[in-house]
Amino acid sequence: MSASIYRLVYYSRNHVALDEVAFAAEVDDILAKSRANNVRDGITGALMFNAGCFAQVLEGPLDVVEAAFERIQQDERHGEVSLLTLEPIERRSFPNWAMGFVGMSDETASRFAGVAAASGFDPAHFDGNDLHTILRNLALEEERQAA
Amino acid sequence: MKQDVRHNPEQAVTSSARILESLQHPVLVLDAAGELIYANATAAGSFGGWIVGLSLTDIFPDYLRSPAAGDHPTSLRLTTQKGEAFEALLSPLGEGETCVSLWPAAAVLDERTPERADDLTGLALRNPFMAALDHALAGADNRAGSLAVLCLDLDRFKVINDTLGHGIGDQLLKKVADRLRTACRREDLIARFGGDEFVILQRGITGVADAERLAARLVDLIGRTYVLNGHTVNVGVSVGVALRDAGLQSRDLLRNADLALYEAKRAGRGRYRFFEQGMDLQLHERRELEIDLRRALALKQFELAYQPFLDLSTDAVIGFEALLRWNHPVRGKVPPLSFISVAEENGLIVKIGEWVLMTACMAAASWPGDLIVAVNVSPLQFKADTLLTTVSTALERSGLAPERLELEITEGALLADTDNVLATLHSLRALGVKISMDDFGTGYSSLSYLQKFPFNKIKIDRSFVSGGGADSEAILRAVSGLGSNLGMAITAEGVETAEQLGRIREQSCTHVQGYLTGRPMAPDQVELFLQEQPIAQVTN
Repeated sequence: MSASIYRLVYYSRNHVALDEVAFAAEVDDILAKSRANNVRDGITGALMFNAGCFAQVLEGPLDVVEAAFERIQQDERHGEVSLLTLEPIERRSFPNWAMGFVGMSDETASRFAGVAAASGFDPAHFDGNDLHTILRNLALEEERQAA
Repeated sequence: MKQDVRHNPEQAVTSSARILESLQHPVLVLDAAGELIYANATAAGSFGGWIVGLSLTDIFPDYLRSPAAGDHPTSLRLTTQKGEAFEALLSPLGEGETCVSLWPAAAVLDERTPERADDLTGLALRNPFMAALDHALAGADNRAGSLAVLCLDLDRFKVINDTLGHGIGDQLLKKVADRLRTACRREDLIARFGGDEFVILQRGITGVADAERLAARLVDLIGRTYVLNGHTVNVGVSVGVALRDAGLQSRDLLRNADLALYEAKRAGRGRYRFFEQGMDLQLHERRELEIDLRRALALKQFELAYQPFLDLSTDAVIGFEALLRWNHPVRGKVPPLSFISVAEENGLIVKIGEWVLMTACMAAASWPGDLIVAVNVSPLQFKADTLLTTVSTALERSGLAPERLELEITEGALLADTDNVLATLHSLRALGVKISMDDFGTGYSSLSYLQKFPFNKIKIDRSFVSGGGADSEAILRAVSGLGSNLGMAITAEGVETAEQLGRIREQSCTHVQGYLTGRPMAPDQVELFLQEQPIAQVTN
């Protein structure tokens, strides 16, 4: 029997209050490191973020997903982590690691467009998936409150 | 489930990764360019989360890459930016990659040698911890507040152990230990004293702020959700903090932190408290009270007083509420407010509640007519699962008709485990007993509770009666209107003046209780009181 693949989705509040340049650098950093960790662990997924929050989907074998989530929990750059789902799945929704910016302001969106495009984030992966809608709405709500 | 790894290379890779992850000392792998391409969990925890992608110099500024990296292992000492020293062993892996194994430098290592560590978590045990605390207190740094002891207790750990099993409980303790390591600095010492009790010695701090920062960080970090074998697990942590003070021995400091922990738990758990002078005295007084309370039943120091309530449509007394009184030979009359909470904390309330029910039913059985006795029931009595038996036994032994007993519950009873409580209420109702909602208006005053159970009566808290303002009056009117529409009687409590009584009548309350219509009285005064009153003919 092949090991089951699990999907974990969480949503958290951003604790790093930085100016945009520093924030972009921070996000670059997070992306680079999670890519390296995730390639090593056989994890795929997607990270969405904006000034207010992070929302992440992790897909992979249960033990590595748990270990990745534990590393994420110990990170001081965010807090109030809500675990939205943890469940076995038939197939991965994100066969490649992806990342996208979900924000309301066009200016910020364009700043992060490069990062998002380079990561191969394709919103189509989310289409028809309630998760996408939920995460997106949460993210927008968070940005509204942070503004 | 053991598999032969030789025939399954993929399995072998996973296993070695797991082994690396489980190591309690940091392991790093560098590529040819000197960049980190791997960090095990301990390394990530020790050096600050996402470190893959950094160079070794970023973590250890004193690391100078040797221009000609040899092909044999080298050992050296490295120091982090924070000044934590490590012994490092660099071994070549081929293709320019290097494996770096790290151990805390000797002085720190002493307290963490395997034979003195806790098997499960790798944390220090009690004895080495106490030795380290002695050593620190005797050390050169004698400034007050230069070190702190933090006592930690997990909230709800027992429930997790009981429901998910000890395997998950143990995994949880390991992850909690990991998070403690993440939150602490190298110079701090973390110990597990057993079960879910952890103690931290925070050394070399500059004052209260440092200890407060760590305590707040612990409450946040330990309280974050855990995922264990696919289970989502939530625990909280309560933290008690005590700072070094002149003349304090290790034992005193630990005791102070423990007292502060007790206060953190009493204040609702999931928070930290610093030790304050007087906490020991308070605890001492509570313990004394508890000892006295345990004896009070046997020594027959409890009494019930009975306060009449009237039906406003006939102005006749239709029953009495039984009120608990404690007459202590030295303390005198102890007000319920100061001992009920202690009795609820230690569970004595269940025994006391049984006595109250039995005594009140016996007394009421001797009253003339159909007079009702109302008895308060603590939320804890619902939890004990014996309430139904207690009530039926009291009715049976006293011979009191069930419809002459009225149980008063507060919203608190319905807050937790609502389904079980509702089931108990329905069983009690099936016996014929009346159920009323007490102190309505002071707590959540959730209307959904009124919908969940058809209470016979709502008792509006005295504060709305004595208030007398337009607001209080509006609330009185609203609640009584609500009650009459739901078919529930309404009692206004705490009526002290004729003017208040007049208002109560206007607001369509059905019953009244207060000093004006009768003060609480000793059991033997009830008969005389009734002789002076017209007794209502209760027909239903």
